[in-house]
Amino acid sequence: MTVQETDTRSGSLLHTETLSLNVGPQHPSTHGVLRLVVDMDGEYVTRVVNHMGYLHTGFEKTMENRTYQQNVTYAPRTDYLHSFGHELAYVLSVEKLMGADVPERASVVRVILHELGRLASHTVFFGTGLLDLGALTPFFYAFREREAILDLFEEVSGYRMNQGYLRVGGLSRDIPEGWAQHVSDFVNGLDRHIDEYESLFATNPIFIDRAKNVGVIPKDLALDLGLTGPNLRASGVRLDHRKANPYCGFEQYDFEVPWATEGDSYARFMVRAQEMRESAKIVRQALGLLRPGPVKDPNRKISLPPREELETSMEAVIHHFKLVTEGFHPPVGEAYVPVESARGEVGYHLVSDGGSMPYRLKIRAPSFVNLQAMEYAGVGGQFADLITVLASIDPVLGDVDR
Amino acid sequence: MDPLRGRNLDVQDDRQPNPVTPAVAPAARLDALLTELGLARESTEEGLLPVAPIEPARLLQTAALLRARGFMLLDVVGIDYLDYVLRKPARFGVTYNLYQPDTNERVFLRAYVEDGQHLPSLYPVWKSANYLEREVFDLVGVRFDDHPDLRKVLTPDDLDGHPLRKDFPLGESPTLFRDGRFLDPAAFRAGLTGQQGGLTGWRGGERKGLAPRAEAPVREPKGGES
Repeated sequence: MTVQETDTRSGSLLHTETLSLNVGPQHPSTHGVLRLVVDMDGEYVTRVVNHMGYLHTGFEKTMENRTYQQNVTYAPRTDYLHSFGHELAYVLSVEKLMGADVPERASVVRVILHELGRLASHTVFFGTGLLDLGALTPFFYAFREREAILDLFEEVSGYRMNQGYLRVGGLSRDIPEGWAQHVSDFVNGLDRHIDEYESLFATNPIFIDRAKNVGVIPKDLALDLGLTGPNLRASGVRLDHRKANPYCGFEQYDFEVPWATEGDSYARFMVRAQEMRESAKIVRQALGLLRPGPVKDPNRKISLPPREELETSMEAVIHHFKLVTEGFHPPVGEAYVPVESARGEVGYHLVSDGGSMPYRLKIRAPSFVNLQAMEYAGVGGQFADLITVLASIDPVLGDVDR
Repeated sequence: MDPLRGRNLDVQDDRQPNPVTPAVAPAARLDALLTELGLARESTEEGLLPVAPIEPARLLQTAALLRARGFMLLDVVGIDYLDYVLRKPARFGVTYNLYQPDTNERVFLRAYVEDGQHLPSLYPVWKSANYLEREVFDLVGVRFDDHPDLRKVLTPDDLDGHPLRKDFPLGESPTLFRDGRFLDPAAFRAGLTGQQGGLTGWRGGERKGLAPRAEAPVREPKGGES
């Protein structure tokens, strides 16, 4: 420990020492199991060091030893808040390797689930983020909407959080009857709910005091740190892979890319609030594009044959047997498809050696890269600001540690 | 505006136009960029990604050139080509995923290194290299010179070895922890369930802790004791 002459900031002549404070890993405001070691000079933070790895379960190694189809259930379990982003990124990469042809209806359903997932993730962001700042009420408002979204997920896939609903080449099954109407009812009431959240924090003087000019990440630092997603857009770079590298037919949808230039915690909150409105807009448009049709690639080398065919066709039985026991074999090659998840760019870098399991699978986890910003944005402010910064960066520790 | 009221909620208001990243990145322009840097795409059948091999000695200089053009480092991927079907120049390929957000160009640079060979750290060029290179060091075991803080990042301190190497033993393996605790998974499970340990998925190889194996106080848990 270094003994300093004076507490320079307050100007008093008290002798102070730099204090190392350990935060976490079991701490409610670390959003999981993140451990921070914070050096403090009085109440001011001089250095932040992240310690990760408490949730490391070796997703990449596990997925390299499972077939491509089995991995669809692993991918969403990394980022458990916007799990659909990971699932979609993985499936899109495999489809690029295989050259699969995804039917229109499947793409539209994917868009709906992708945006609902983003809404579910951002509601948790608002609920827990504001809870960290001492506001208890938004948590209940936000989780009301989150529950409604999880019910929609459950209706369509049977799972509330980690769906595993996609198949390479489409969906596992068509959406149930009446589901589109339920989604429509939900998103039509959503804008009013987002107004409610905003009225709880956007003009709240306490929140503004705690978030404005706190944890500023300037544009060049954001690019240097490799930030993506809302964190980068709050710093003035208008990068959104739904616009830049459209997947699932995102080029057909009319939506804005919210952005801000301040780069502070307040801007990160506001950009996400705007994103929720845009997501609701996309879901409404996607519901209009929902036409009857197949939801799977008809290629029998990729998709399972329908159950009825198994009783009449020997070919179907053979294909079923091969797909279930062994899986399909993508050609030798590499694929990477960037997907805009609620946290930033998710991508699965797949290396195929022609076998039925990925030779190498690397998850580009946005939270892991975004978390580095803590060591820059958290420094210089008071300790209480550190909590604001962590909440506004919105890491998911499952995504960080994988 | 009243400072307490905050600013207008509408974040995309009347500020300077900042165009959304365009949706087109012509392949020809990417090739021109690579040619300008003295690189070329990897000429194999794996043509889905624009991967350009690069000698480790030129890495830092090329990275600085790309940084000046506005590229950001999004990911570092360590690949162990030990059992790969195609012949590669060296065992490990460290792939840098570089992206230009204004022009929507994406380049993958790949440096091939043998086991024990080091790479220059790109931390002086991009700060994001910090964690990403630590992860490659932790999981694949490629060392980076001049990295400010090359420590493990994801696996426990007392795990010996690099799990994403292809020769890392799979399945349950007896583990000796640094504090001297020794864990044999089959016996451990038998202790919990009171049943036979049975066969494990262990396919040979032993994962050792930092303490020497001989000092391990081998103590198998009894039934009902965890």
